[in-house]
Parts: sequence; C-alpha cells; structure tokens
Amino acid sequence: MDSTDAKKQALQIIADVAEKSASELQNEQNLLADLGIDSPKALKLLMDLEDGLNLEISDEDAARMETVGDILRFVGSAA
Amino acid sequence: MSRFESPTTVPEALERAAHRFPERGIAVFDGRARHHERRTWPEVLDAARKAAGCWAAAGLGPGDRLVIAQSTSWEWLDGWLGAVWLGALPVAAAPGAGLGPAEAQVRKVEGVMERLEGRFALVSDVFRRSAQSLGALSVVERAITPDQLFGLAPDEVSPPRPQADDHAFLQLTSGSTGIPRAVQITHRGILHNARAIDQRIGEPQGGPTSEWADGIVSWLPLHHDMGLVGCVFVTMVAGIDLWLLQPTTFLARPQHWLRELGKRGRTYTHAPNFGYQLCVERLDPGDLDGLDLSSWSAAITGAEMIRPETVAAFVDKFGPLGFRPQCIRPSYGLAEATLGVTCDRAGEGLRTLPLPSELAEQAVDADLSEVASVGPPMADTEVRIVGTDGRTLADGRVGEVAVRGPGVFTGYWNDSAATAESLVSGELRTGDLGFLRDGELYLTGRTKDLLIVRGNNLMPHEIEWLAEKVTGGGGALRSGAFSVSHGTRGEEAVVVVETQERDDEKVELQRRDIRLEVSKGLGLVLADVVFVRRGRIPKTSSGKVQRRELRRMYLDGELA
Repeated sequence: MDSTDAKKQALQIIADVAEKSASELQNEQNLLADLGIDSPKALKLLMDLEDGLNLEISDEDAARMETVGDILRFVGSAA
Repeated sequence: MSRFESPTTVPEALERAAHRFPERGIAVFDGRARHHERRTWPEVLDAARKAAGCWAAAGLGPGDRLVIAQSTSWEWLDGWLGAVWLGALPVAAAPGAGLGPAEAQVRKVEGVMERLEGRFALVSDVFRRSAQSLGALSVVERAITPDQLFGLAPDEVSPPRPQADDHAFLQLTSGSTGIPRAVQITHRGILHNARAIDQRIGEPQGGPTSEWADGIVSWLPLHHDMGLVGCVFVTMVAGIDLWLLQPTTFLARPQHWLRELGKRGRTYTHAPNFGYQLCVERLDPGDLDGLDLSSWSAAITGAEMIRPETVAAFVDKFGPLGFRPQCIRPSYGLAEATLGVTCDRAGEGLRTLPLPSELAEQAVDADLSEVASVGPPMADTEVRIVGTDGRTLADGRVGEVAVRGPGVFTGYWNDSAATAESLVSGELRTGDLGFLRDGELYLTGRTKDLLIVRGNNLMPHEIEWLAEKVTGGGGALRSGAFSVSHGTRGEEAVVVVETQERDDEKVELQRRDIRLEVSKGLGLVLADVVFVRRGRIPKTSSGKVQRRELRRMYLDGELA
C-alpha cells in the first residue's frame, strides 16, 4: 500500500470511530476535544488502525497522537 | 483456627492459597488477548517473596509508600504483592492509555508522590520519559522501571509478620483538592471483604464459589478496588482461577471478555454498568459466532449506578448466546469500605422498585424512574440510613447510607479533616443516598457533588478550574460542573461557564479550549459546555456555586 492509500484508509478509520464522515475531518482537529474520541474509542481506533493498515503503534507513538494530522503523518511515514 | 483456615493478613492468605490450591492461579493476557502467562499460587508466592527482596535491595523499607502506575501485568502483581510482603504501602494509579501524552496521569502521580512522600514510583520507561518532558520531578527522581527493580539481586528479607489491623495498602479516591485522597485499607479489611464477597456470590448457588465456578474473567484495572479486591483477592481466598485481560483490550475489543468467559469453564465476573453497556453498543451476536455463554454463572454489576435499561439490553442481546438474566447480581461498594458493602442475594436477576416521585429532584438521574435493589449488607456489615441530624430513618425513607463493618477504612492518609467528615465514631458516612426496604438497599443519588463518569470518580471543581483557566475567571467569572444522564449512556459531564465575551466566534474558541483543557487534564469528553452571562450561575450568600440548582436550571432549559 502506498502512503496516499494508507492515509485515505486511516482517515476513514478515524471517521468511523468518531461517527463522522471522512470529508468532515481536518488535520488540526483534536481527537479528544473536537472529535469526542475518549479513551475507549481511542483504544478501538488504535487497534483498528493496526489491524486495518497492518502496522504496529507503540505506546510512545500513541502518546504523540493528538490530532487527525498526527495520525496521518505517522501512517504516512510507516507505510 | 489455624491461619490456613481463616487468614487475616495478605501474606497468610497468599501462603494458604499456595498450600491449599496449588493448581489454581492467575493468567495475565497480552494486549491482543492472544497469549497469556499463567502462574499457579505457589509461583505467585515465590515471585512475591523475591519481589520483596528486590524492593529491599532498591532501598524500600517497611512503612514506605510507593506508587505503582503500570498496566495489568506480572510486574504490577509482583511489585504490589512484594511491597506488601515487605510491609511497605503500595498505592496504585492509572498508567494512562490511548492517544496523546499521559499528562493527566503524570500530574496525578506527581500529586500523589508529593502528598504521600512516596519513596518510589514503579512506572514504564515511556511514562518516565513523559514525566521528564512535563517536568514532574518528584516522579522522575523516584521512578523505577520493572526492568531496574527486578534486575536487582534480591536481598534476603524476613520482614515482621503484619498484624490484621495493620495497613496493607492505600487506595486512591478523588479528593476535594484535585489530588486524590489515599484510603487506608487494613489486612483484615481486604481478607474479610474478599471472603464476604465470595460467600455472598455463592449463596443463591448453594455454596462457596469454588463448588460451582472454575474462575473469574476480568478486565478491570488493578488500581480499581473491584479489580484488586474483587478479583485478585476473591480468587485467592476462594481457590479459583483468575483470567486477567488488559483493560485496554476490553475497551478496544470487548468481545475478548465474552469469549474468555465462554471458554474458561464455569466462570463469573465483576464489572461496572458501563462494561455491560459497551458490549451492548459495540457487539452483535454475529461478532461472537459459536460463542456459548451458558457457563457464565454470575455477572456482578457495581461501582456506579446500575441502569435497568443496560441490563435489559444486555439480556436481550446476549440471551440468544446462552446468557441467563438471573446471572445479573447488582452490588454496592466503595473504596472507603475496602470494596463490597452489599450484593444481591436472591439470584433472580435485576429487581427494581419505582422511584418514589417525591425523590425525583434529588436523584442523580434526570430520567430515573425505577431503582435497582443492590441487595442486603454482606456478612458482619451493617447498613443504616441516616437523616441530616444523624438519626436512623425508617424503612423506605431516603437518607445517607452509613456503613459499619470490618471493611470500613481507618481514614485518609494524612488528612484528618476529610477523615472526620467520613468517619463518625467508626461509622462510614458514604455520601450516597438511598433507602432500605425489607433489608435490601436501594440507591437514589448522592449528597456529594461527585461525578462518576464511566466508573471514574471526579470532583466538579477539577473541571471548573480547567474551564475558568480558559475564561480567565475564578474570581468574578464562575463556572459549575455536574453530571446528567439519559437512558443507557450513564452519567455525562456538563459545565456551565460565565463569560463576558459577546463575539460568537470568540465564544466558540473558548468552548473548544475548554473541551481541550478538560480532555487533556482529565481525559474526559464533556457532553456539553454552556455559556451564560456573568452572575447567572446561582451562588450561596458566601459565594459558593450551587451546583444542584444549576443542574436543575440546565435540565429545565432555563439557561438557554
């Protein structure tokens, strides 16, 4: 999978967890404050990303993910 | 009676389990619930002794406090049991999980380390680095990782045997200053409570749990009293197995909990209402192909208000997989009582009474129409309902729940003012409201302004401080936080904030900043942020925010 596809898929996974459509998402949105992704949803999101994109997200990587853009950057560099 | 029959201290109970149930033990699962590492009670005992030696080598001594902020693991269990073996006082805190930096957890651990003058903080490397980048020096300077601790050559230790009334550990609970309070729990409290819970759960089944259950399957965090006392200690005294899933695994993939419950023989479990609710929301029987829940014999529900809607939805959804409604066993407890106070004895499933209409106003719930029986008090435990004058109220009258018994705590660590409020002549004033009917307890609300969101206790000013930081209030501009609940969703947090800002765009920015501050600081998503003009929030003559009245105004639409 190239990094554009991976980012597109990641955006869809975030949208599904946030119960929004992918077109509503913006890079600077805060996952918790803007999208309401609380801890149970965040853990689902992490596992959905790992399973959907076949990658591993360490605790340290997760600690750096605060916005939609943070996730897309990580996915882009991991793909 | 020999100590193998009725242990009153943690070391005795562990030795007894190793002696009496050498084949039983604990299995800890990895994050994906694919693998587990199982140890028998004799192995748990050996590891605890060795861990005590490692702690001694690190410089921990009897009476020292230490914080454990780790996810569910053998390092957690060894570290905790080893510290207790040595006579030190462990206090467990949430390690933080999910997205973003664990700032809220680091600050909490920092506050606890300072308040308790903690000797060590057993944390992961990632946690220590977060603490470093946040400048939490009291954590960084005293941090020790499991690799460092268990890499030490253990000292030979033979600590003095604890007495039953000695403190065994400290349990964190939310405090009025934003820093958690530490509840002092005795050895006797733990062991008595574990046995009382085991006995009560077995009553409708006709005998102790070991006669009809093989084990408990739990995802509850070990820093939670229901995870530690209700699962680890209950299995230790009962002689059954414990299957421990990571809390994070359950939150991400709740099906693993149900799968393990179906797979590990005759099982039972403890969980707060929201655990059952999460299964209802996230799972369909189709996700659980081939699963048979008919060997699940008791589903204890407690630690937050029990919602009849959740129970009904759970039974509807998982009944076709073999889950029986009579397995639902409502219970009530709190950290200040070690854990359990009451638990259902009938074994007939959820039983409710209509909420007396004159109570509707003081109930926690906006639309609570029926209340669940949480059963009669457990062995040796007395519950009475007291009025504001401290006198006992008659059956059916609502007042504060007061508890006496061996599990009642001895006080909050180094906080005599808070202790004096909660412990009145040895009786625990819980701050919970309810009534007794035919010897069974029904909970209707709380006297304290406490919020319980998804099993986590919060004090309103923790939210208000963060909101007022954004609006620059705290002086003239005030705010008030409270919880509301609708149907199955459970309690959700709302904050009402005074502002002088008239520009709509700027108000929206403030709204976002408040959500951001609260989510970062407390890991909480606010259900609503309402702005009102200055002076609109009701206050007492001494300037205290009247949260209860504010909440009524919010629910009646008077703030719009």
